[in-house]
Amino acid sequence: MVMDAIFIIATFTEPEKFGTNPQSMLWLLPLVAAIAIIYKATKLPAITAANFIKEAAILFGSIIVFVIIAALTLHAFAWLITG
Amino acid sequence: MMALHTREKQTLFLLIVGLLAWLVPGAGHFVLKEKERSIIIFVTIMLTFCVGIYIGSIGVINLYGATPWYVVGAQVMNSPMVLVLGKMTAGGAYPVHGWPNEIGQIYTSTAGLLNLLCIVNAVYLAYLRGIEPARG
Repeated sequence: MVMDAIFIIATFTEPEKFGTNPQSMLWLLPLVAAIAIIYKATKLPAITAANFIKEAAILFGSIIVFVIIAALTLHAFAWLITG
Repeated sequence: MMALHTREKQTLFLLIVGLLAWLVPGAGHFVLKEKERSIIIFVTIMLTFCVGIYIGSIGVINLYGATPWYVVGAQVMNSPMVLVLGKMTAGGAYPVHGWPNEIGQIYTSTAGLLNLLCIVNAVYLAYLRGIEPARG
């Protein structure tokens, strides 16, 4: 039990090893989820499970859609400029 | 005189709420009896911060190194415990470079900025509750 706790704490002293591949962009998703959850936790007048999950999911989806549109627009610009 | 006392008490209460919200994420809402909000805030901010230091190690808390001041400021907004972590990592004891460092800094500083939003929200809620009885 103590050894397990030590191993868990030790994982926080060594960085993870991953490169700059397209899959690493998926680290965006938990961050967007955190932003959506905290924003809705501060803005909703009353917290009920169903309503909170629905509102946070809508905001999460909206941010992701906006990020995809922004990425596609920037990609199109880069393609137009560089040929 | 009585009104002055009430105003001083309210200011002190707002300061306590703000300080508690900084000490422990969600504690500001907890003292305002917003238990659901406080649990959501605590779990989300702690998870986001822990994911950040898991990816980049505690080395991403680099208070005395080359980290930009705005990243350090945002990280410190998580909790004063970040200052303790900063003491541990001082002198480059936990080196971290490249992509893990950037992702770790983005996660920990975003968690801090989200906690700043919660601190401001808790103080604002406390302020509104303070002026409600006066409005009648």
